[in-house]
Amino acid sequence: MFRRVLIANRGEIALRILRACRTMGIEAVVAYSEADRESLPVQLADEAICIGPADAKRSYLSAPALISAAVITGCDAVHPGYGFLSEDETFAEVVRAHDLTFIGPSADVLDKFASKEGTRRLLGSHGLPTIPGSDGMLRDDAHALDEADRIGYPVLIKPSAGGGGKGMRMVRTPRELESAIKICRSEAKSAFGDDSLYLEKWLDDNRHVEVQVAIDRFGRGIHLGERDCSVQRRHQKILEEGPTPALGPAARADLAERAVRAVVAAGYENVGTLEFLVDRDGNPYFIEINCRIQVEHPVTELLTGVDMVALQMRIAAGEPLPLTQSDITLEGHAIEFRINAEDPEHDFRPGAGVVTRYHAPGGPGVRMDSHLYEGYEVPPFYDSLLGKLVVWAPDRATAIARGKAALDELLVEGLTTNIEIHKALLANEAFLDGKMTTNLLDRVGSAAFLAAAARA
Amino acid sequence: MPDGPSKSRDRDRDADLAAIDALIDRLVPALTAKLGASHLGELEVREGDWKIRLRRPATAGSWNGEARRATDRAGRSAAGASGSPAHDPHRVATPASSNGATPGGGHAGHTSGTAGRPSHEHETRRVATSPAVGVFRPNARATVGTRVREGDALGHIDVLGVREDVLAPADGLVGELLTDAGNAVEYGQELLVIAVAAPAGAA
Repeated sequence: MFRRVLIANRGEIALRILRACRTMGIEAVVAYSEADRESLPVQLADEAICIGPADAKRSYLSAPALISAAVITGCDAVHPGYGFLSEDETFAEVVRAHDLTFIGPSADVLDKFASKEGTRRLLGSHGLPTIPGSDGMLRDDAHALDEADRIGYPVLIKPSAGGGGKGMRMVRTPRELESAIKICRSEAKSAFGDDSLYLEKWLDDNRHVEVQVAIDRFGRGIHLGERDCSVQRRHQKILEEGPTPALGPAARADLAERAVRAVVAAGYENVGTLEFLVDRDGNPYFIEINCRIQVEHPVTELLTGVDMVALQMRIAAGEPLPLTQSDITLEGHAIEFRINAEDPEHDFRPGAGVVTRYHAPGGPGVRMDSHLYEGYEVPPFYDSLLGKLVVWAPDRATAIARGKAALDELLVEGLTTNIEIHKALLANEAFLDGKMTTNLLDRVGSAAFLAAAARA
Repeated sequence: MPDGPSKSRDRDRDADLAAIDALIDRLVPALTAKLGASHLGELEVREGDWKIRLRRPATAGSWNGEARRATDRAGRSAAGASGSPAHDPHRVATPASSNGATPGGGHAGHTSGTAGRPSHEHETRRVATSPAVGVFRPNARATVGTRVREGDALGHIDVLGVREDVLAPADGLVGELLTDAGNAVEYGQELLVIAVAAPAGAA
């Protein structure tokens, strides 16, 4: 196992990795930008090292700065967290070239799964149902129009690289396609440095269900159940839960088993998440794999009792999986609420500022993963995630009740948060019935959603 | 759920902001003068629901102190690491962090005319800081007493074999080296002091 790990990330995930390191007896070195000097992970770290200015390109996205920091602080591994360089095969390769372990898949594996379109084809060949889509990357507008005609509108334009909804648009007509494709190209170019796009058939009223897997170096794999991430706003997940209300127990088990079989056969290694769209009739379609620890991993942790970050580090250290499939039992129901510094009443405008009061809720089955403290100044340079409130209960109704109580108790003052949208969700009929679809929030509009909840 | 709780909060917030503006216009200039004339570190005035507290810029805020301890601890553990250069635990206290508001302190101190350089003694002393995280390699110019021009390279930071120049921040004489050659340094770390040349016409 590693002796000393460089945490190449910030915010709640830096804290989460630090906590995993502590429980495993590993020293944690936190790499931080000047904007994060006063952050909680920096305060709690065994060592903290400033790697650059606030601009992420010169700090959290700078491979030389991060690796140099790891070398001079005597680390033997680098944990990239999520986002930033977590799925960058060049970074993974350079980390290894400096005799450090990249806590994630090898560069070869990352390379194999780097293209979403290629991955869809690869896992399709290993038995996963895939969504109809364009034949390869879009060469030009004419090619895009031809392919969209063949697939049938509506279609979703997607960038080959990255995630988080950037460069992604759903279009219903050739005219919309022509104008949206330019925006998608420029968004993808600026966000990921790669403007290749492809098309996918858009399923109206779909659900987003994802399977968590863990595969060791020896090709032994397990799944840890699935999560439902259908509550989205403009392709950004807001709330995640497990098990999914969209599928029955047999269909859930079948999907998870097929997912783990396919990735083992395709040569995957690390923890990973296979994302599926599920249509109205309950048919799943594989869309992409995330080769990293995910924001919503605590949902799985509460359902299985497995520490996903620790498991990921064991796999990266070359240990065989400490668990077999029969050790994994999924119990109860878990819901995660992403608490963001954004204003639901003003188009989710992101905010920054000093947290003047902070209180995290508690009680049975309540967990708060957050880097906030009173007096902490949320810098304006990075994403707006302030933390994750996660609740667990033996059944969904009780989990919702615990979620409501915990959201009422949660106090974040000094900046505007999206807490109200979560309260509105827990009062929404579609959510309570387990019938949320990925487009519902955008179709209804967040303002109408909040207003309806206020009337209820 | 009560009707439109956020709207009424918005109104409250606007009213609060207006009240704060009024207090600042009326009280802060007077209080600043009083604080300046006294030897007090802090002055607090209460009026109705409001209180205003002015504080002289602290040398180090409490959180900053915490951070420093974190690196001191780190420095020791790094020194124990075999084969890697000791990470210098020295940390730069930027003006921004040393002037930082403390939680709940109704901080208005930075309106009191001390913006900019924290104190006069720094005016003849400028510090070259590290442009990157890596190993400090000063060159021949970086010896005490050498006359340098602004922008002169005083050495470099070795970042995995790539050089990032350390530049003189002003014309002057090289003073103290704040860390030794070969030490591991972090971004922004203070490396060496330049005694600034007296401006033309000064005694």
